Amino acid sequence: MDIKKAVKDTRERQVQLWKELILDYCRTHKIFLIPLEEDFLLFTNPLIQRSLNHEAKEVFLSALVSEGRAEWIDKGHKKCLILWLRIQDWADCILSFVKDNGLEDSVMTVEEIRTGIESRGTELHGMDHNVLMRALKLLENKGKAAIFKGTSADDEGVKFSV
Amino acid sequence: MGNLFVKKAKITDVDKAILSLKTQRRKLAQYQHQLEAVIEAEKQAAKDLIREKRKDRALIALKKKKSQEELLKQVDAWLINVEQQAGNNAIKAIQGEINMDDVQKLMDDTEEARSYQDEINAILGEKLSAEDEEDVLAEFENLETELTLQDLPKVPAQSEPKDEELVLPDVPTKTPVVSEVVVEGAEDAKRISAQRKVMEEPLPA
Repeated sequence: MDIKKAVKDTRERQVQLWKELILDYCRTHKIFLIPLEEDFLLFTNPLIQRSLNHEAKEVFLSALVSEGRAEWIDKGHKKCLILWLRIQDWADCILSFVKDNGLEDSVMTVEEIRTGIESRGTELHGMDHNVLMRALKLLENKGKAAIFKGTSADDEGVKFSV
Repeated sequence: MGNLFVKKAKITDVDKAILSLKTQRRKLAQYQHQLEAVIEAEKQAAKDLIREKRKDRALIALKKKKSQEELLKQVDAWLINVEQQAGNNAIKAIQGEINMDDVQKLMDDTEEARSYQDEINAILGEKLSAEDEEDVLAEFENLETELTLQDLPKVPAQSEPKDEELVLPDVPTKTPVVSEVVVEGAEDAKRISAQRKVMEEPLPA
């Protein structure tokens, strides 16, 4: 077996394992943003006093970005948005939530979806506001929801029509 | 082009009113949390000031706490009002009419609450009602007593006196025998021989 191929296979396996680890960790702890220039628990092991260097972090996160499971927030690649569910999956998750709670033709505030009593114990609870808005806009484009503003600027509502 | 024929959900005035009420409810709930935090902080401040023997400042902190509690009661009442209106909206929606004045009034009330809060902060130097004053003083005394009891030194645990050690003889290993005694007098001789006889007799089976 060619030594270069063996090294390449090992490298690919390593990247794959890290991608899975990042997604699982973020999903478990409901983390949406990973800062590259700050300490992040997953990339540091104080027991053996080792941590991933900046280059390695960027390699693993870029691999997630190329698969549509993450997005760079800025051009400098200092912050990365982790999509442990793709936007389409989030949209499906919202629809299931609406059906399960009998919220068809109901008005909800955007905040209510991510911090309300009904969403407790679901994937939606505590989710990132921007990710939620993108998922809702996707539903709006499909005619499953209508996003609208109330009387004051911070009134943001959505009416579902599943 | 795919989105050209997508039918969007129609947003009515009722929907907008419901959204306003829900937003109002969220803001009031946040306000509640803020007030609760302030109340707790004032109580802690009062405790610290009592410890430092600064009664006047402690009373001011307790007055602040009292006024915040009054405001919290009012916010609770507003929240109930919002809940009732939100419930009524369902019926009003069916009837196809909603009194937007009610919604507007509720929103004005919240603005009023904000200004009322500022007003309270300004008035704090002035006196509360006589009843409130009594409550504040009673709470002050309770806190003072509580802290005095907390600060008392602990009673030292007395070590129990040890029992005096008794020096006892060893357990005998031999059969007891009456020692030889020089007997004077016939009566004594008889008594001793009788004792010896008893001791030498075998026990009945």
